Amino acid sequence: MERKTLVTRSMVALILISIAMVVSPAVNSLPTGVGGTGIQSSGCNCHSAVPTATVDITVDGLPEEYNASETYTVTVSFSGGPVESGINSGGFNLWASGGEFSVLDATVESRAPAEVTHTEAGNDYRTWTVEWIAPSHGRDVDFIVHVNSVNGDGANSGDEWNRYDLTVAGSLGPGLDPADPFTVLATLIIISGLLLTITILYGFYRTNPDVFDWEHLAPWIADWLTTTDHKKIGTLYFVQGLFFLGVGGILAMMIRLQLAGPDMGFISQDQYNSFFTLHGTTMIFLAAMPLINGFANWIVPLQIGAPDLALPRINALSFWLQPFAALLIFTGVFSGQGADTGWTGYAPYIVSTGAHTGVTMWVAGQIMLVASSTLTGINFLTTMAVMRAEGMGWMQMPLFTWSILVANLMLFLSIPAFGVGLIQVYLDRTISTAFYDIAAGGDPLLWSHLFWYFGHPEVYVVIVPAFGVISEVLATSARRSIFGYKSMVLAMAGIGIVAFIVYGHHMFTSGMSPNLRFITMLTTMLVAVPTGVKIFNWLKTLHGGSLVYRTHTLWALGFLVTFTLGGISGMFFPSITMDAHLHETYFVVAHFHYVLVGGTVFGFFAAIYYWYPKMTGRMLDEKLGTLHFLTAFVTYNGIFWPMHRLGVIGMPRRTHTYFITTEDFTALPEWAADWNMFISVCAFLFFFSNFILVANMLISLVRGQKAPADPWGGWSFEWMTASPPPTPSFDWNNLPVLKDANEHIANEPSAIGRWFNRLMVPEDQEEVSH
Amino acid sequence: MSDHDDHHAPQPWGPHDWHHGAPHNSFSPLFLSMGVAISLFGLAAAWDYGTYNPGHIPTILLGLLVVGFSMFIWWRQDISFDGHYDPISTGTPFRGIQVRKVATWVFLMSEMMVFTSLFSTYMRYRLGIENCGTVFERGMFDPVTNPTGWQEGVAVTCFEPASHLIASSWWHLAPGAVNTFALILSSFTVVQALRYAKMPDLDEEARRKKVYRYLASTWCLAVLFLTLKMVEWFVGFYVPEISFIGLHEHDIVSLVDEGYTINADHYQHHSYIDEATGAHMVANIQVSASLFYVTTGTHGAHVAGGIIGLTYMTFKAWKGLYTPANAVSIEYFGLYWHFVDLIWVLVFPFFYLY
Repeated sequence: MERKTLVTRSMVALILISIAMVVSPAVNSLPTGVGGTGIQSSGCNCHSAVPTATVDITVDGLPEEYNASETYTVTVSFSGGPVESGINSGGFNLWASGGEFSVLDATVESRAPAEVTHTEAGNDYRTWTVEWIAPSHGRDVDFIVHVNSVNGDGANSGDEWNRYDLTVAGSLGPGLDPADPFTVLATLIIISGLLLTITILYGFYRTNPDVFDWEHLAPWIADWLTTTDHKKIGTLYFVQGLFFLGVGGILAMMIRLQLAGPDMGFISQDQYNSFFTLHGTTMIFLAAMPLINGFANWIVPLQIGAPDLALPRINALSFWLQPFAALLIFTGVFSGQGADTGWTGYAPYIVSTGAHTGVTMWVAGQIMLVASSTLTGINFLTTMAVMRAEGMGWMQMPLFTWSILVANLMLFLSIPAFGVGLIQVYLDRTISTAFYDIAAGGDPLLWSHLFWYFGHPEVYVVIVPAFGVISEVLATSARRSIFGYKSMVLAMAGIGIVAFIVYGHHMFTSGMSPNLRFITMLTTMLVAVPTGVKIFNWLKTLHGGSLVYRTHTLWALGFLVTFTLGGISGMFFPSITMDAHLHETYFVVAHFHYVLVGGTVFGFFAAIYYWYPKMTGRMLDEKLGTLHFLTAFVTYNGIFWPMHRLGVIGMPRRTHTYFITTEDFTALPEWAADWNMFISVCAFLFFFSNFILVANMLISLVRGQKAPADPWGGWSFEWMTASPPPTPSFDWNNLPVLKDANEHIANEPSAIGRWFNRLMVPEDQEEVSH
Repeated sequence: MSDHDDHHAPQPWGPHDWHHGAPHNSFSPLFLSMGVAISLFGLAAAWDYGTYNPGHIPTILLGLLVVGFSMFIWWRQDISFDGHYDPISTGTPFRGIQVRKVATWVFLMSEMMVFTSLFSTYMRYRLGIENCGTVFERGMFDPVTNPTGWQEGVAVTCFEPASHLIASSWWHLAPGAVNTFALILSSFTVVQALRYAKMPDLDEEARRKKVYRYLASTWCLAVLFLTLKMVEWFVGFYVPEISFIGLHEHDIVSLVDEGYTINADHYQHHSYIDEATGAHMVANIQVSASLFYVTTGTHGAHVAGGIIGLTYMTFKAWKGLYTPANAVSIEYFGLYWHFVDLIWVLVFPFFYLY
């Protein structure tokens, strides 16, 4: 099939999907009476706090067992309560779990298909009649009736109310209970693990189909478990990162299932807390960070002309800490007591006995991840400082390597604060120290400071490598060098420095010092400057280049759009007044998903399409790649764009559900439910569209075209090795040398560099220098 | 199978043949991570908000066993390291320096942040919570004349620095003071070990003895440090009567026996007694005690880590395996050891004197 045809077809398919997504929430609008359920849980409490038993409710006209789709005339009446005074007498609310009500007269109005209540006129009666059309499914139907008996004085005092529940049997008995979300999650994780195992075994089978037996499998597995080669460890990081990207995605899908409609009962608030905690932790620490490390492991030594990382065994250690940390973090899921603190783990809740017991394990796992990140940081900073090829000065390093340098510097200077905070929490929860015990004088704000001192650089740690990827991809695709290399480097360094003085904007509403708030507001707005420099440099690179549209180019262009949008929505938060309104709403969720998914994950996608040929020696399928880009990009925006609007109207995040018709102050307008359904549909489409990528990677590994050493026309060192590169990546005795166009060594150390070098290296060691 | 080296089969368990350069396969990262996870799991299971559950002690021990086993593999692979393969920096400004030396410096940067965070916590609580001495000096509660005073039997939440006990007499301070000198001295001995290991024109046996003895004395000083710390925390000691210098016989009680425990919410310092009424002021000093034990304990853990490393290095020196070619690995350890020493120089005044 021609490329053009495929693109046309996928465009048509996408337009159809988009139309379907727009239409589906409308046709699907809320089958089970949404509104009254606020009343179901809280009662008619405007008429007095507690129900009164003397109000006696009668419901006539309902059968013992209904016939499917038959119409019944139902009469609701009551006796008791205060005496009628002639003006207003009473009111009612009738809710059914199935079927539909139809209104017979002006005393009754419909709130939802399966919920009716009295009208203003109906207030004068103590008996109401309505028709109920039984559902066709034949399952048992629950009814909940609330009545209030009023004394007609126009005020609420002296009124009484009561509630009455009944069940009408259906021919098929009770319906299925919704599954326990933890069971669903655990099952899905186990299935994913099995699929991963099968894939790995298939991978081994493909290496040599003739020797598929244990005798060959065991050493093959042992080699992967013990490897210290940077490329193999990079691959291990990818396996872990992509697996947990899937697990985090499953968590997200379950959350979206719960939020698809208002007042859904799939996930309770308690379980929801665990779900979003695990979603955040998994995505940041077990998916994004390993994927960064995967690329860094693979590409950085190749780009700087180093045979391996500086400390290969330490590198293996930083990897292996991660899967075991993941095991600890997920122990809670299988015990039903997963951490429920949010990824921020705010004190004092995190040290309180009220938090789930799984929090201790979550903290333990995080401590291991901190150790892993610290070791990674040490390893990469050392590698980049000491193992650059001759002629490659700091300002000759490719931008991806620079981005990893900045990211690791930020990470490893900030993460010890988080580690210390975690150890304090771990000790608080185990041997009962009192770092965050308010009664003993502990200060929860201290935790916030320690956490966000790490947490804010951390979000730059996951975005800056994506900057590096985009710089590489756009320059190569535009067939020119990057515009403004120096300003790109300085901008990244600037982001790295500013990262440490902006974290207070996460704490605007925490009661921190107002002066500090003001300063943080200014510094946070400052972040837009280096980021803007990068965006404009990328645009200028495109402007001066002649663009080749490959899949990685598409993702990089998509990144430009979504990351800029995420950056703009981010500029609302430094403004303290805006932040006070928007914090803890879906606007925040929309913002950080725009930068973390639209920024980081899109950057990863670009990187996967860009470097996959280098890593495997096989080209990825461009058609599938284009399809993946089109579906994922459109559905991704469908998920997060509407969230801005939901946030502005005040839909709270970290809350398991929302209401649209109660008088509660958190109630949302009815269209919020439509948008949430739309978001959920898009979320599922986005989730499944990424399987195109997985399929593409697996299929191309077997059937893909053989990749040349430099398929895209890149000119950094990694394209000068074979695809896949040999081990060690460069010959220890014949390391590459970076030369300029005149065959001169590109960089000689400056006077400061020479002076520093003389300072650092004792004279008796100088003969070993190159 | 690693294919970089056909005649050298990878040995994930055994000693490496370092002449072939990196990378080498190794089981120790995998097992080390596993051991750490098991230990953390066991610790959390054995203590729950101070409730001790001894049934999970075997889990902790299993974890430590796995950690020890993996370190054994790590060292077994390293013991054959003779300095032949020690990557040298190619990039400016570090050209010519051993890669691992730079790595050690970078590592110390992150260690600096660990202690910075601990000291931040200290400053927050030291300055943010009222000192117990100040509360005591306000005098006893009286609804009219002294509404902010303390009451008999009602624990006041306040900050009680350990120095109130430790710096109360020379003998109380003695373990900490001796420790300070022990650490400074050990920094000297480790440098001497390096000096003799690097000395080019030294007889092999003389080198072995010098390096081994200096490393062993570093080890002894480090162990002395931890021992005295345990004495100071848990044991206490006895001061005999030496009449001609005016010393009378008395016991120095350990911090824990004084009631200065990690979660003391009814702590009573012996000087917090109202002279007029004889009433005691009790204090909730959990935060300050936690801070003291965790910060000095973190430093102690670094010393303990150093001892573990020193054990291996002393063993290697005893086998006579240090030569001028690989002597620089003593320097890597020395950098770390100086850092631990330096941290103590900060911890000591903040937690013991002031």
